Order: sequence, then structure tokens, then C-alpha cells
Amino acid sequence: MIAFLALVAGVVAGLLLEPTVPLALQPYLPIAVVAALDAVFGGVRAKLDGVFDDKQFVVSFVSNVLVAAFIVYLGDQLGVGGQLSTGVVVVLGVRIFGNVAAIRRHIFRA
Amino acid sequence: MTRARGEPWLAPDFLLELFRNPLDPGYADAAAARAERGPKPRWRRTGALVLRTLTLVLVGLLLAVAYREAVAAEPERSRAHAGLVDEVKTGQQRTDDLQQRTEDLRNQVTAAQQAALGGSAEELARVREQQAAAGLAAVSGPGTVVRLSDAPAPIDPATGRPSTAEVNRVLDVDLQAVVNGLWASGAEAIAVNGQRLTSTTTIRVAGNAILVDFRPVTSPYEVSAIGPDDLERTFRRTAASASLADLANRYGLGYSTRTETSLTLPAAPGPSLRYAHPVGGTK
Repeated sequence: MIAFLALVAGVVAGLLLEPTVPLALQPYLPIAVVAALDAVFGGVRAKLDGVFDDKQFVVSFVSNVLVAAFIVYLGDQLGVGGQLSTGVVVVLGVRIFGNVAAIRRHIFRA
Repeated sequence: MTRARGEPWLAPDFLLELFRNPLDPGYADAAAARAERGPKPRWRRTGALVLRTLTLVLVGLLLAVAYREAVAAEPERSRAHAGLVDEVKTGQQRTDDLQQRTEDLRNQVTAAQQAALGGSAEELARVREQQAAAGLAAVSGPGTVVRLSDAPAPIDPATGRPSTAEVNRVLDVDLQAVVNGLWASGAEAIAVNGQRLTSTTTIRVAGNAILVDFRPVTSPYEVSAIGPDDLERTFRRTAASASLADLANRYGLGYSTRTETSLTLPAAPGPSLRYAHPVGGTK
């Protein structure tokens, strides 16, 4: 419950405070969102599996976002930013789908 | 992410593992460690809760910011497009204004010439004649209009809409062939889409556009020529006409000719000679 409220509080804060993202960081925003979603769904699934761990969750969120941004940055420098972004999205997308499927099995028993 | 001893750093079926078990193995490790060592002390659990809440606030913030950025980026893109369109329109307007000014100035020059020649009708007529022949004065007379157009865009079988990719276009060489054919058939003045041709006019391609005297012209192209009454018939017998008819047959380009009893061709912007001087001039 607290977790859900915290998430909503974050969204509301983001919409109300209207923070501006520096121009240099803007290309990494979409990939950071995908990485964050992966961490969140992984956390929810772990909670339902009964193996949730705070430290693991926080570390996975931070490292996901940083690694994803780093890969995109590296790709941009090498001129293959688009392809590497696709790679990141595919891997994280597969994980998100797998975790959401597990969450669905927990909730609907199907 | 701890790993059992002896396990290879990267399992050979790494991707398969990713698909089969998408949950971070760290969660299982942490749960195992907890079961082994018992629950953590109270202060650590409180700290972890605060950390988790902070992280989730951060995630929410990230989502909201990304949403706002995506929404804000859209009008910016269309703004940039509108700006470019405006710039092009302003440029075209400027060119038109300048051409209008050229026209006015040319009229003044003609008036001044008339005054300078002291109203000698014979001299004036000669100057007029030469200007018309050089393309520096508007002319009218009977002639022929050759019309060329790009082939219609093929219908994309997937979307059912006209595809924009593969269009058989009229090329600069086609226009050149038409113009040369018309000169050869006895034309005395030619204009392409209202651009009068002079001795220094070029017809060339730049990207997807054809430039006539550095002004872009687009399909359909109308090449108007003033010449003898049988100009159309003569032109129809030239090699240029035959090859265009062939292109029209094979690639679907539009090609037609018609005879007009009265055509008016505008004057071309006068070339200003900077290096060449008239031979035997009075100056």
C-alpha cells in the first residue's frame, strides 16, 4: 500500500513540479523509463513470490537505469545508438513480459 | 547477484534462461540468505522501507517527467516543420518580388533607350527585335505546347494508398531533349513552365527537383515554343518525340503536344555580362 502511494506521489510530484530535464539527458529518458518499469515489475513479482528484498529492489532499479543509459550513450558515441537501444528494449521487454505473466498467474491463478 | 560456486560466468543458454526465468536471481539469493540468518534487525528494516519508498517516488517522477517530455516534444516537431515552410514561402515571395522589380527596371531601361535613341523608329525596332530574339523581351505568336508529367504514383498493394517511394519521374535530360527538339524544329522562343530560355539558361537536376535557370519547376512541365505553323508536326517527327512517346508507353509518363494559335512567353531575367564585352562596340 505504502509502495503504491509512493508511486502515485511521485507521479503527482512530477506533474505538479514540472521539473525540466537537461537537454543532454533527454535521449536517455525513454530507455530509463523502460528500465524502471522492469525494476518495478520485477519487484512486484518478487513480492507475490514472497521473496521481495528492499536492497535488491533499490539496487536493481538504480543499476538498470544507469546501465541502460550507459549502453545508449555508448551506442550514440559509436553511431549505433538506435540498434543498441533496440537491444536494451528487447531484453528489458522480455523480462517485463515474463514478470507480468508471473504476476498474472499469481492474481488470476491462470 | 551471487552465484553458486563453479557455475560458469555466463551460462551457454543465457538467452534461454532470460526467457524462462525473467526474475532477477538476486531476489532468490536474498530470500535464501534471510532464511539462513533469520530476519534483519529492526533499524535495517526501517531503513530499507524508506529506501524502497524513495525509489518508488523516483520511479513515479521518472514516469511523469517522461510523459511530459513526450507531450512537449510533439508540438515542437510540428513547429519546426511550420517554421521551415514559412521560410520557404518567404524565400519564394522574395524571389517573386525581385522578379517583379526586374520587370519594372527593364521597362525603365526600354523607356530610357527609347529616349536615348531620340525616337528613331528604325533603331528602336532593331533593338526590340534583338531583345526578343535573345529572350530579354516578352514575345507572342503561334506555337506549340509540349506537356510532360511524372507517372502517377503506383498503388501500394499493402496499404492501398499511392506509394511515395517509386515514382517514374521526368528527368532533366527529357526536358533537354524536348527543348533541343523544339529548337531543331524551328522554334524561335521557348519557355519551360513560364521560365523563358536564353543562350545561358541551364536545365539541370538538383536532388529531386529540376532547375530551369536556377528556378525549380515541377511536374507537369509545359514547354511552350513559338515557331512556324507546322512546328508540332515537325517536332512529332524528331527523335526526341519518339523517345518520349516510348517512355510514356513503357513507364507511364504523361506526354502530349498541342498547337496554340497565340502564345505569350515572358522575358527572361537578363544575364549581366561581367567578363564578356561586345566586339566592335562604341565603348
